[in-house]
Order: sequence, then C-alpha cells, then structure tokens
Amino acid sequence: MSELEALKSELQGLQVKALASIKEVENLLGLGILRVYYLGKKGKLTSVLKGVGKLPPQDRPVIGQYVNATKTALSEALDSAESLLAAKEKQQRIEAERIDTSLSGRTAKRGVLHPIQQGLNEMTAIFAQMGFDIAEGPEVEDEFHNFDALNIPQEHPARAMHDTFFFEAPKGQQAKLLRTHTSPVQIRTMKNCIEAGGEPPLAVVAPGRVYRCDYDVTHSPMFHQIEVFKVDKDVSLAHLKGVLQYFLSAYFEKDLPIRLRPHYFPFTEPSAEVDVGCVFCNHKGCRICKGSGWIEVLGSGMIHPNVLKSVAIDSDIYSGFAFGLGVERLVMLKHGIPDLRLFFENDVRFLRRMGA
Amino acid sequence: MKLSFSWLKEHAPLTKTPQQVADDLVRLGHEVEGIELPRAAVKGVRVGQIISIKAHPDADKLKLLQIDIAEPEPLSIVCGASNMGEGDKIPVATVGTCLPNGLRIKKGKIRGQASFGMCCSEAELALAEDADGLLILPVDAPVGAEVGEYLELEEAILDLDITPNRGDCMSIRGIARDLAADYGLPLIEPADELVGADTTVDPPKVRVSAHSDNPLYMACRIEGITVTDSPAWLQQRLIAAGQRPVNGVVDVLNYTMLDLGQPMHAFDADTLQGDLHVRSAESGETLLALDGRDVTLNSGDLVIADDTNVLALAGIMGSEATGVTNTTTSIILESAAFRAALISTTRRTHALVSESSMRFERGVDAAMIVVAMDQAVQMIVDLFGGKSSQMTVIGDQAALINDKQITVNIKRIETRLGIHIPETADAVLARMGFDIQREGGDLAIRVPSHRHDVSIAEDISEEYARVIGFDAIPAELPALTVIKARKIDASISDAVALGFVQVINYAFIAESEQRLFVAHDGDDLRLENPISEAMSVMRRSLWPSLLNTAKYNMNRQQAGMALVEQGRIYQGPVDSHQESNMIAWLMAGEYQTDSWYEKSRKADFFDLKGAVESWLDKRGLTARFIADDDVQGLQSGQTAKIVVGKSTVGHIGKVDGDIAGSFDLQADVFVASINLDALHAGKKAKFQPIPEFPSIERDLVFLFDKTISSNDILQAVRKAVGQQLIDARIFDLYEGKGVPESKRSLGIRFSLQDAKRTLVQEDSDQAMQAIIDAIAKKFGAELRG
Ligand SMILES: [Zn+2]
Repeated sequence: MSELEALKSELQGLQVKALASIKEVENLLGLGILRVYYLGKKGKLTSVLKGVGKLPPQDRPVIGQYVNATKTALSEALDSAESLLAAKEKQQRIEAERIDTSLSGRTAKRGVLHPIQQGLNEMTAIFAQMGFDIAEGPEVEDEFHNFDALNIPQEHPARAMHDTFFFEAPKGQQAKLLRTHTSPVQIRTMKNCIEAGGEPPLAVVAPGRVYRCDYDVTHSPMFHQIEVFKVDKDVSLAHLKGVLQYFLSAYFEKDLPIRLRPHYFPFTEPSAEVDVGCVFCNHKGCRICKGSGWIEVLGSGMIHPNVLKSVAIDSDIYSGFAFGLGVERLVMLKHGIPDLRLFFENDVRFLRRMGA
Repeated sequence: MKLSFSWLKEHAPLTKTPQQVADDLVRLGHEVEGIELPRAAVKGVRVGQIISIKAHPDADKLKLLQIDIAEPEPLSIVCGASNMGEGDKIPVATVGTCLPNGLRIKKGKIRGQASFGMCCSEAELALAEDADGLLILPVDAPVGAEVGEYLELEEAILDLDITPNRGDCMSIRGIARDLAADYGLPLIEPADELVGADTTVDPPKVRVSAHSDNPLYMACRIEGITVTDSPAWLQQRLIAAGQRPVNGVVDVLNYTMLDLGQPMHAFDADTLQGDLHVRSAESGETLLALDGRDVTLNSGDLVIADDTNVLALAGIMGSEATGVTNTTTSIILESAAFRAALISTTRRTHALVSESSMRFERGVDAAMIVVAMDQAVQMIVDLFGGKSSQMTVIGDQAALINDKQITVNIKRIETRLGIHIPETADAVLARMGFDIQREGGDLAIRVPSHRHDVSIAEDISEEYARVIGFDAIPAELPALTVIKARKIDASISDAVALGFVQVINYAFIAESEQRLFVAHDGDDLRLENPISEAMSVMRRSLWPSLLNTAKYNMNRQQAGMALVEQGRIYQGPVDSHQESNMIAWLMAGEYQTDSWYEKSRKADFFDLKGAVESWLDKRGLTARFIADDDVQGLQSGQTAKIVVGKSTVGHIGKVDGDIAGSFDLQADVFVASINLDALHAGKKAKFQPIPEFPSIERDLVFLFDKTISSNDILQAVRKAVGQQLIDARIFDLYEGKGVPESKRSLGIRFSLQDAKRTLVQEDSDQAMQAIIDAIAKKFGAELRG
C-alpha cells in the first residue's frame, strides 16, 4: 500500500470513529472535548496532516482535499450535534426550573378607600371638571349660618324638621350646633367673597359631614353632603337643570332622564326635588322605584333673594342656583348597597368588596 | 295628609282617575307618598234583579234565586237571606270577584244545588260594619251595571306630604283649588248661609286683650244639644283621613277643619265660669291639656281663659276639663285667627303638636273663618239638635283679607327660569285666585288671602314654573366659571396606597372613650341632645373610633388590621372652638399570615412607622421620631412623637395593654396620628443631575450601650463624614450571646459619592476613620471584630 493509500485509509478510519463518538456524546462538555481531540491545534486531524509532508508532491493536493473533506464532515457533525445538545440542555434547564404558577403570589399590601370617600372623590371631580371650586367650612356651626342666613327664621316649621344636635353651652352664650347640611358653606363662601371686596361669579362645590339627630334603619346621625352652587348674572333654572343632567349622567355613567318636581325649601325659590330615572330598571319601573321609574336623589332650586341679601349680594343683579347631594344615597344607588348602616359599621369585608 | 278622593270631588268636578290626579299633584308640587284603594275589591259586583225565588229542596233556610244581570242567561244563586222579594234589585258578586273581606267568589254547589255567584249585604261590600240581610238597591238601579260605579263607591285615599309653606293646602278644599285651577274646572263653593240664630240664646261674651296675636275671634253658643256619636259616613271620613272619632261635636269640628282648613275649638259652656278672655298667659299659670299633660305656661303664650281658669292654649290645645263630652248639652264654638309665628314658638316651647297648631303655624285662610263657623254650626244643629246664638265677632275679617300686591318684571322671571312665560299661564294663576294685569313689561299681581307663601317676585316665578311645568324648562349648561386651580387632598389616598383600609366613624364618641387618650380639662364639646351616652362628645382623638372598628372586625375573625381614618377633631370651649383635620392609623394582629413562602408574624411598631414614613415621604417630608414616654394611653418605651422641622405634628406608639384589652383586643395594637393642618407643604421635587461618578459603600459594626438611639448615632455619622455621605443606615442589629447584657451590636452601612470625581480607597479610609473617631468620642463605643 502506498503512503497515499495508507494515509487515506487512516483518514477514513478517523472519520468513522469520530462520527461514531460524536453520535454517542451526551453533553456539550463532552462534545467540546471531542472537538479539541479531533480538530484542535494538537488534534488528530492535525497530526494526520503532519504525515502529508512525507508524500510525493503530486499526491499532496489529493490528500489535502481528503483532509479538508474530513475536516468539513467532522465540523458539520460537531456543529449539528452541538445545536442539538444545546437545545436539549436548555430544555432540561427549563424543566428543572418549572414552578407551580398557580401558587398564590406574594401579596402586596393593598388598601381600599371607603366607598363614601370614593363617591366624594368621583362627585367632586365631576364638578371640578365643570369649573366649580372646592370649599370647606366648620362642622360646629352657629344658628346664623345654619339657619337664619338661609332664610329659616327661628319660628319656621322647617327649622324643627332639621333634628338639630345642639351643644351644651354656658347660659347667655350663643348657641352652637352641628351643621345639619352643607349649605352654611354657601353662606360663608359668598360672605367671604363679598367681604374681601370680591363679587360673583362664584361656582363652588362644598363636600362635608353633616349631622341630624335621627338614628334608625334609614337614618344615620352623621352623613355626607355636597353643596353645589353658582351665582352670576342671569343664572337660570335651565342652567340648574343642565348641570344636574350632566352631573347625574356622569356619576351614574349612563344617560338617565331627570325630572324636577316643584317643592319647598326655605333657602331656594323656586325649589325643586330632583328625580333621576331609576338606575336599577333604566326608568322602566321596578320594585325599588315602586314602579314609577323615578328615584328621588336631591333637593335644589334658585337661591332665595333673602339668602343673597344676608350676604350682601344684590338679587336684582345676580341670581344663582344651589343644590345639596346626599352622598350616601347616591353611592347606595350606584352600587346597589341596601343598607345605610353598612357605611359606618366599617366591616373590612364590606369595605374591601365595595371600596377602591 | 290623607286625602279622600270622593271627598275631593265634592269640591271640584274631577273627571280624572285617582292615579292621574296623583301625577298632576306631583307636578304641582304636592308629593304623593302613596295611593290606597280601600274599595277596589268591589269590582265585579253588579246590579241584579231577582226573577224568581224558590225554596231549596234540601235546606229550610236556603233559597234558590234566578237573577237577571243583563247577560243572555240569568244566574242561579243559592242564598241564605230572607229580606228580598221577587223583582228586587240587589248587588250580585259574580264568579271571579274578590270581596273586600277577602272572599273569592267561585262556582259552587250548596247542598246539591249549583250556585254561580253571591248576593251581597252592605257588610260584604264594606259599606257598613254589619248588616241584616241583603242590600236592596233603589228600583232605578240599572240591571247589569257595576254596583261600585252606580253607588259611586269608587274611593282612593291619597297620602300627601304637604310642604310647610302651603298651609292653604292642608285641607280638601285647598287641594281642590290647586287642581281645579290647573284643570280649568270651577271650584264648587261651600254653602255659606247663616244658620238662623235664636235670639233667646245669649251670644258668648268675649274679651280680646291681645289683638295683634288674635286679630279675629268668632264665637257662637249652641244650647240644648244631645251629643251622640257622629254618623257612620262622617266617622268613616275621619278614619280615612287618619283621625280617631271622639264624639259628635268634636268630630264635626275635625271634619270642618279637614274640609276647609280652619281649625276650630268647642268648650262645654256649663264648665265655664264667666266670660271668655283671649289674653297673654301669666308666667306659672297651668293648663291640664287634652292629651293629659300638665302644661306650665310662660308669659307671652296666648290663652283662652274664663274668669278663673285657662281653658286653652290658643290654636294649639284645649283643657281636659272644659272639653265637650257625651253629657254636654251646651257648647261655645270658637273660630279664630292666631298669629302663625306665635303658635309656632309656643308649641315648640311646650313640645305640643296638634292638627290645629300645624295649620295655624303654616297660616290659615282668613276667608274661611266665617265659612267654617257657619258650616260647623249648621252640621251640629242638624245632627245633634239645639239652638244657636248670634255670632260674637271681635276683630275685622275684611282687614285680614287685605290682599298683597306684587309688581314684577316679566323679563326677570323669564331670564331666571330660562323659559318664555305665555299669557295662558296667567289664566291658571287667575283660577288659583291671583289677579294678574300685564302692563308693558311688568306684571301687577294681587295675591289671594290664602297664599301666605307668596310675597316676592321669586314666589311669582315659582308659581309660573309650577303651572307651566318644570318639564317644559330646558336643560342648559351655564358658561364655565374660571377658578384658581386647586390640588385635591391626597392624604387618604396615599395612606390607602400603603395598604391601609379606610374607615369612616361618627364624630361623636363616649366620654369614657375620650378620657382614654385625652385628660379631662373641661374642653370637650358635649352635645345637649345626644343619641346616646356612647355618642355624646365630639372626639378629640381618632384612636377610640379606630379601636372600636378593630374590635368590631377582630370579633369577626379578622386576624390582622391595618386601618386608616381621616376626620376632624374638635376642641372647646364652645364659643371659640377649634376643628383640626387629622389622619390616624391603627395596626394590630397579623401583619403577615402563614404562607408557602413566609411564616406569619405580628405587626410591630416598625411596620406602622415605616408606613407613616412612606406617607410623609410622599408629601416631601421627613420626620424625626423622638421617644416620648408621656403620651396618654400609649405604652412608655414604644411611643414617639413625630417631629417635622421644629413642630410636633403627631404621635405613634403602642396602645396601653389594658386599654387594648378593654376593646377585647388581645394582640398588640399600634396607632399613629398626624395633624394635617400642622403639616406644611413639603419640598417640591427639584431636578438634580444623576451623579456621574460611582459611589462607594462600606460597613462598620460597633458595640453600643442600649440606651443610645440609632437616630443619634446616624446623626453623628453624618456630621463626621460631611458632604460626601449620601446615605447611612443601620443594616444589622444584634443582642444576645456574645454581647454584654447592657449593649447591642449595630452595623452601620454608609455610602460615599462625590459629584466631581471618582472616589478612591484613600477617601473611604478617611471617612471610616472619621466615623470611628467620632463614635468613640461621642458614645465611647468601640469597633467590633
Ligand atoms: Zn326602577
């Protein structure tokens, strides 16, 4: 056998053995070792190449081709084995890292706003969008701001209907009481404006706590109201209706009809009770609205000239509308909460369900 | 007020149904709270004529009737009554009818004989309490007609809520007037004829010495009456209106009041001593009132008295002793006008309320004083006999009916309603009694005597809005008013974002709870009329409310609490009180529950402190927490005051164990509170370039006396290093084995950075040495291992 033939057969044997080893190798580490063993600088193929120098020059290209072909074959085999093994090992790693994704997450502490707070925030925001400023006032009030200035004189029957909480006070001192509505803020805001040399327009929303000496299934001695009023030249009942329509649709997030019914409040003239199309039956009539399709939501009207007079606003020049929202009532209607008392029991199970 | 529909029809020829009328009343501003239909069940009962009567073959007391009800075939009915004859017309309840007593009429067999209905008595139609035999109808009753329609039994009781300004509508007549005006119907005028007075009966002698409070007083004597119960129809009307029949005379007066709106009173003339005197009471005089209460009068109260006794608190209530009874034979009737505001004040002072006072304080129609008197005298004489005297009249009725004049600009009304006022609306108002003249752009209006609520332009505006209908007014959005932008307070939202559940509690608490955290100093604001002792003082701390909420929830199997509340606290004295806006937190019980990744643990001081710090950080504030052993109700050694800048803004600490125990709370309870009004706005975030050069972090561990606070240590570290220090904190705390009893090991980790260069080893070595020296010098603490 010539040197050439011997070399050829050696190469062939090498290739067969190498391919068999590559096929058997089970991991990337082993494959790396094989690659160095056969194709490395000091590897088998290199050592075969060293024998080429012994060949006659005319045979060298022939064997060169053989060597290259073997090298290519081994490289390809190694490469494809490598990608297979890499994929396999990645898969093994993935399997090893598999978790039960249905286990509960590590809980982030989550709190909730009280549903009343949430309601207050939503309602106030709607009026703020409509350009109303936000105002507050004291809860411990005097009779002037809570009654007299609102055109409810001492002997007025409406005054007795307010179920007022009074404070114990030394004899001779001015009586103090817990405000029975947020309307005193209307008086204070208008008075402050005029006394500071200002003048209307005024557009104000005044949220806050109010108190009535009445405690049963449908009455809480403390509850929340939002007083809304606007005073300007030529403010009309039509404007009141427009603002109510906008507010109620925005708050209940649906287009509901509204209805104004003539009513009586000492501090407004004309006065109107406001009904909104029943949110439960979409104005069709159901048990909750007693089949009428309407639900009474608030009292409203045009600010009485006596009220404007009490804060030195000229009712010949200016007019205004005002209304008071019962926050609890609106929140109950929006969320179908059946019982007022739930709000003040503060059962965290209720709060977590209803709050946001 | 309960309004009988059939009674209403006596005042106006209404053609609409009760439901339609109710809807119209609502549109006119009279709230209808409900409609009762007491005789709705009579439907299906028809007029039948008896064709034949035969004996029942198997029952002596039963008869077989053939009855014509204008259907193709006559009805066969078995009947037990005996007062009817052939040809009589009777009410027949047909099959399917449900009678007022609940009986449903079915086809049936009675002793073997088929029966297709039932013949009815007055009792079965709810026309009388009991009855003897069938109701025999008049001969002209149309056969086949509904008996209800024929007898005009249709009745509805409307439950009205009359607003306090409409005293004129506290009567059937007042409501009828509003409706008739709206419908364009005439009002049926009451017969106003003076009863023939008998000159042998002396008119009552009356003196009025409080003329401004009692501008008109009418009295009439009736002698020789026999007081019996009033007739059934009258009693039924009173009962339907929600009133209890008393005796004939009282019932007639109540009936007249309901009918015409004028309250009246009757005295038993034989119980009086001398003349009637309308005067101011003397302080200390007493009246044993009809409701059995002994009323001690104040000077200024208006009374009707005789020579020796007070007989009545004018317009409110009479005395028991002089009231009319079944043995009364001689009476004096009173019909008068009393000043509304006086009645209101007096009845509130004495906490009395009556149907009479309700009407007087809302204002009665002066035009009805005489009409009501005449009607009542007429009815009493008709029903109970007797002779009536001539009227005694003190005062001038015409002066009371002096109508008000208002002139208003029609444009002003139109602008403020946002609607055009058509002249047709004038006609409706005219029917309500207003006299309207349009003069150019003005309306000259004369207000009728019964409308005490109308006195200014806006009242006229309301009348127009009412008759035109609020529905006709368009909805328009007003022009936007430009206001200062205002930041919405996020205090509570930020606390909620840190994991707390917001609660809202009443602002009043028990005084005993107030005392847990606030010592007695006389500055509680105390309610004069609390709901209960548990809700009697305005809170000066939110903590008692939070403890109650924690108690409520932990009693309901809640293992851990993280609550927050925002609300005011109130401090006296009453005449110069203060309200401050507070936020308060409570943490108790499990902070972390057992889970697959972590063991459970209880909340402690630092859980709450961390939350409070984060909350402050959100507002750009940093606080110092300075140990404070003198906070009432909180445990020494686990309590600190919260100091921002130089002011104490709140406190945080562990609730005293005994106090927590008194709220059934077994777990440690931690609370904090901050006065929001004391917090000034924090720093606004200002842009700073991100540092270009890297920072270095180093640790040092020292052994300190336990008494030295970490706050002081970190303060010393900051001072020792100066500007390059960007952070220093305690990263490790160890007490126990290997550390002396009185000491603790604290690891301090600090970071250095320079804005202008990269720091090198030398820098950190220098800083470490500075810290070691400072700590050794200030606290005598040494570096540990
Ligand atoms: Zn409904």
